[in-house]
Amino acid sequence: MTAIKEHQKLDPFTLEIVKDSLVAIGEEMFHTLARTSMSPVIYEVLDYASGLTDAKGQLLTQGNGVTGFIGMLTFMVKETLKKFGNEGDLKPGDIIIINDSYGGGGSHLSDVGFVMPIFVDGELIAFAANKAHWTDVGGKDPGSFSNDATEIYQEGLQLPCVKLYDEGRLNQAIIDMIEANVRFPNLSLGDLWAQVAAIRTGDKRVRELCEKNGTQTVKAAIENYLDHGEQMARKELAKLPKGEFFAKDFVDDDGFGNGPFHVQVKVTITEDKFICDFRGSHPQVPGPVNVTYTGLVSAVRTVFLAITNPSQDVNDGVFRPLEIITDPASILSAERPAPVSVYWEAMQGGADVVMQALASHLPDRLPAGQLLSVCAVTLSGNHHVNGEPFLIVEPSAGGWGAARGQDGARGQFCIGDGETYNVPVEVAETRYGVMIDEYSLKTDGMGAGEFIGGAGVIRSYRAMTDKQMVSATFGRNKFHPWGLNGGEKGSPNEFIIEKKDGSTDGPFGMYPRYPLDKGDVVKLMTATGGGYGNPLKRPVEQVARDVKNGYMTAIQAEEKYGVKVNPTTFQVDGITGKREN
Amino acid sequence: MRVATDIGGTFTDLVYVDGEGNIGVAKSPTTPPNFEQGVIDVISKSEVDPQSIQTFIHGTTVIINALTERTGVTTGLITTAGFRDVLEIARGNRPDLFNLRYEKPEPFVERYLRQEVSERMNQLGEVVLPLDEERIKELVDYFKKENVDAIAVAYLHAYKNPAHEIRTVELIEKLWPEVAVTASHEVTKEWREYERTNTAVLNSYVKPIASSYINRLNGRLGELGTGELRYIMQSNGGTTTFEQAKQTPINMVESGPVAGIYGAAYLGEIIGEKNIIAFDIGGTTAKCSLIADGEVKVSTDYYIEKDEYNAGYPIKTPVVDIVEIGNGGGSIAWIDEGGALKVGPQSAGSVPGPVAYGQGGTEPTTTDANLLTGRLSAGNFDYDVDMGRVKEAIKEKVADRFGMEPEDGALGIIRIANSNMLNALKLISVRKGYDPRDFTLVAFGGGGSMHAPALAKELGVGKVVVPIASPVFSAWGMLMTDLRHDYIQTYIARVNGLDLKKFNNEWDELADTATAQFQEEKIAKENIRLLRFADMRYAGQEHTVKVPLVSGPITQESIQQLICDFHELHEKNYTFKIEDAETEIVNLHLTAFGSIEKPTLKKLETGVGSVTEALKENRPVYYEQEGWVDTDVYDRQKLGPDMTFNGPAIIEEQAAVTVIYPGQSALIDDYGNLIIETEVR
Repeated sequence: MTAIKEHQKLDPFTLEIVKDSLVAIGEEMFHTLARTSMSPVIYEVLDYASGLTDAKGQLLTQGNGVTGFIGMLTFMVKETLKKFGNEGDLKPGDIIIINDSYGGGGSHLSDVGFVMPIFVDGELIAFAANKAHWTDVGGKDPGSFSNDATEIYQEGLQLPCVKLYDEGRLNQAIIDMIEANVRFPNLSLGDLWAQVAAIRTGDKRVRELCEKNGTQTVKAAIENYLDHGEQMARKELAKLPKGEFFAKDFVDDDGFGNGPFHVQVKVTITEDKFICDFRGSHPQVPGPVNVTYTGLVSAVRTVFLAITNPSQDVNDGVFRPLEIITDPASILSAERPAPVSVYWEAMQGGADVVMQALASHLPDRLPAGQLLSVCAVTLSGNHHVNGEPFLIVEPSAGGWGAARGQDGARGQFCIGDGETYNVPVEVAETRYGVMIDEYSLKTDGMGAGEFIGGAGVIRSYRAMTDKQMVSATFGRNKFHPWGLNGGEKGSPNEFIIEKKDGSTDGPFGMYPRYPLDKGDVVKLMTATGGGYGNPLKRPVEQVARDVKNGYMTAIQAEEKYGVKVNPTTFQVDGITGKREN
Repeated sequence: MRVATDIGGTFTDLVYVDGEGNIGVAKSPTTPPNFEQGVIDVISKSEVDPQSIQTFIHGTTVIINALTERTGVTTGLITTAGFRDVLEIARGNRPDLFNLRYEKPEPFVERYLRQEVSERMNQLGEVVLPLDEERIKELVDYFKKENVDAIAVAYLHAYKNPAHEIRTVELIEKLWPEVAVTASHEVTKEWREYERTNTAVLNSYVKPIASSYINRLNGRLGELGTGELRYIMQSNGGTTTFEQAKQTPINMVESGPVAGIYGAAYLGEIIGEKNIIAFDIGGTTAKCSLIADGEVKVSTDYYIEKDEYNAGYPIKTPVVDIVEIGNGGGSIAWIDEGGALKVGPQSAGSVPGPVAYGQGGTEPTTTDANLLTGRLSAGNFDYDVDMGRVKEAIKEKVADRFGMEPEDGALGIIRIANSNMLNALKLISVRKGYDPRDFTLVAFGGGGSMHAPALAKELGVGKVVVPIASPVFSAWGMLMTDLRHDYIQTYIARVNGLDLKKFNNEWDELADTATAQFQEEKIAKENIRLLRFADMRYAGQEHTVKVPLVSGPITQESIQQLICDFHELHEKNYTFKIEDAETEIVNLHLTAFGSIEKPTLKKLETGVGSVTEALKENRPVYYEQEGWVDTDVYDRQKLGPDMTFNGPAIIEEQAAVTVIYPGQSALIDDYGNLIIETEVR
């Protein structure tokens, strides 16, 4: 290997090349984890993140499967630095495991994180970190996240920032504890090894980078990179409208019939700050819809990136202008022992009010309201062919809001997800004890507008054995996705049970452990997005096309859009008086 | 005489090899939209006697163009009831995570043309609901009324039991013989309904286009009186007949680029290099692929239009594993808002092209940087190069921003471009568990040889080969191809307790299909070679490893070997193995080669001329470490076998330049290939 000497001048191109290498390391760590994971929720749904921070825990690069983790790696590293803060506490080869929501975790216990300090010649240079959703971490319900938990203790095993590896030596006791406390130990431990492999890849690559370019060069590149991120964000910030912007909305309920709970924000944009003040939002609640401050930060960061520059490299420099203020122990900044297993309800509620406050001012960056909820489903039982137990854990796709110049996307996962993939029908039917009767667009209720809200999705699981159980958490069930600049609101997330005997039950937004017997069907129906602009301005021919495509009915075309479309030929028969005006 | 023609964006290339093993090349402009004209033109330009052409092999961009330019035909889709929206929901993913105005890729079939029929198979391939044949008749009438030109049929679990798809196609063909039809199981027998449906749709979408193109080309070749052996290059690195290509044109989507990869593997066989990294730089992109132990890697994880911002469209047909990045000779250098230098992915293209072309280009490109640093010579351009303007563009747009001299700015552009390419090369090697030091870099395309020696040094590769005909190497690769068909069948089974009889039967069926196919293509039995692979994984895991399987009947012993090999390959690819975990087979993969006669390459005469005679000039070249160094420039035409020289040196040939760095040395081998030893080991 050609080791370049330290004294070589730090030209801007070397710094750029080292920066690119850091980003490439982040990507490699990300793909290593996906390739080696044993759990569908990681390798299919990509419900994980991985990346590098500097020695102080500032995020350098993060590979993301979902937006919801943006920022959480930083908090894990900072917790590690807090707990192992004395000189010599951290050593080469250490790997720390964390899932404690209130101690660096940030989301729910299902998301298990790892942190590894990276040393070069005895000097702490950086940290590698990752965090992934395990199929199960114990607790009272299969899949661990439960929509009727009342304390975090019911939500699974808590791993409070402890060393899994001490100078490269495995602490077998932790493995044994995990094995004894989770429902599918081979899956969870498989994920553990995958995460360890991925994080070690990061360690190895950063050390190689230092060996090749010199540690000083790498450190300089890190500084330079963070400053570059800040500079890019500030440039975008300068383009935003200045002032105070307000919005208020509700989180449906907490699974115990409490609610709705109001969340509110005052967004203040100045020349160099972007402040989100959530004070006045509802105090933390008995059910598990609360989010920690860390989780809220991730949600707000997502919107901040969407507004400033969605395609830039993401590092902590970018977020330097951002400030987030909450009351203590609110639904948006919960404190122990509040349950948090379906935390995304409050988390995305927080993101959504920021979007509502700003959308009409930034129509080129923000669309109307969307399904918003992860719409998580867990379904468990025994397989109809091999008799083995199975567990489905998955989010649901739904409708996105329309925006200026753009209809809403049909059948996409919510803002908190991202590079998230649905489970193919053929894979699900092979692996699980179900048949899927339908996987189609739900067009009814697409938010009317000049640009129309996106269709939701219908997915129907038919149980193929007795004694199955389905739990679902579909927020945005009582308060619909909002329309923008004259567009109408969309329809809610909901699900019903169609029993073998012909009776139906529901609709529900949140339900823990609904029993299903062979032949019973749970029909999941996600929200349609809000519309943008006055529906009467949607071109007549486009409306006729929408009817032909079944995105709306002829009746809706006439009522909402003022266009009379022949329901068999799909020709335009005329327009209504409302439209003429 | 064996002739290969390859249609590129600007030029249509031709390479031939005659009965004695002599090689010749020709180039002629590509002629859209009647691409066959360019093929006829280049044949005439090559001065090859058409009647002496026994075997004609063709690579074409017609399919990929029709897909990316959306010029295919109106296509209808028939699906299992309840699932017509699978094509539109797709996988629901959003690569551009923070872009809340993400635009989902639009399906190739609009919703009113996606129609459903009552029928259902389960995951075991058992019929749950019979096919409603009456409904097919209604749909044929409906599609006629809607002026559909092609139909795709995609039912759930058809990879397991295609009976309903087969019956549906029968009915359609009887009722409407003129319409183009594709059933999903005909193009892929892998599970995952969205991917299979989309593949069937795209095949139907381009089928009439492919038929008409191939028919026109076939007619013109017939008029010229060329031989009957006419083949088309497929994405899997092998060829197929014109007739078969019309049935599954989607197999041609990467027709051209993969030929260069295959060519690199073939060349490796000749020169005794089994481990190769093939590296191709064109005007707008760089492509690379890793060949381990002589084997060109093929997978079905292929997408078009997929990148970090777009989910793209999956095509589940076997495609040579290629990593492609937006960095080529025409890539534009620019400074981002935070003041960092970037190169690509925007390209100046061929119009206006780099500043050097003097055709109105104002943005500095990699080519301009190579010119300013002396790697390229103004005299070798087809245009009158205004060096002042090239220097000014780099100075103003790059160097001044960093307060440096123009040549340092130019070097910066080259270094950033190299860094981008290096990351791509690492992606296919280091990150897949391969050590680049075990590999030889084969560089081709217009820019491959210019950047390869520097990249090899960075990567730790000891040897770089710049093949003869390197600027038209894809066509050269085509010359060396055999017929190839890949049969991939999803077959989910735990390896422990595998039913050997059923397992062997399954393989026999695949082999029979392959043999029948080759019979149709008039390949004698003794020229057929079958390779078997099992896509395997640990039970519960998703990602698979392709494990080779011995030929002959499979016994308990061969199964044990298979498991062993799997653990080993898994560790290589994914850094770990779990010896006591259960293993599972997901797909059976049969690769069938039908070899056709090829002339052996002729060794060049030695002792003709000398290195000194090949010397063209001596000019200053600006290097990363050494600064300006007076460098000898050689004419590749005049370099013969056994000639050696040391870097720094520049070798010029038509449409390509090789830069040899100080400390590196070069040798011409018996076939005229340029072999560069980098200073690494």
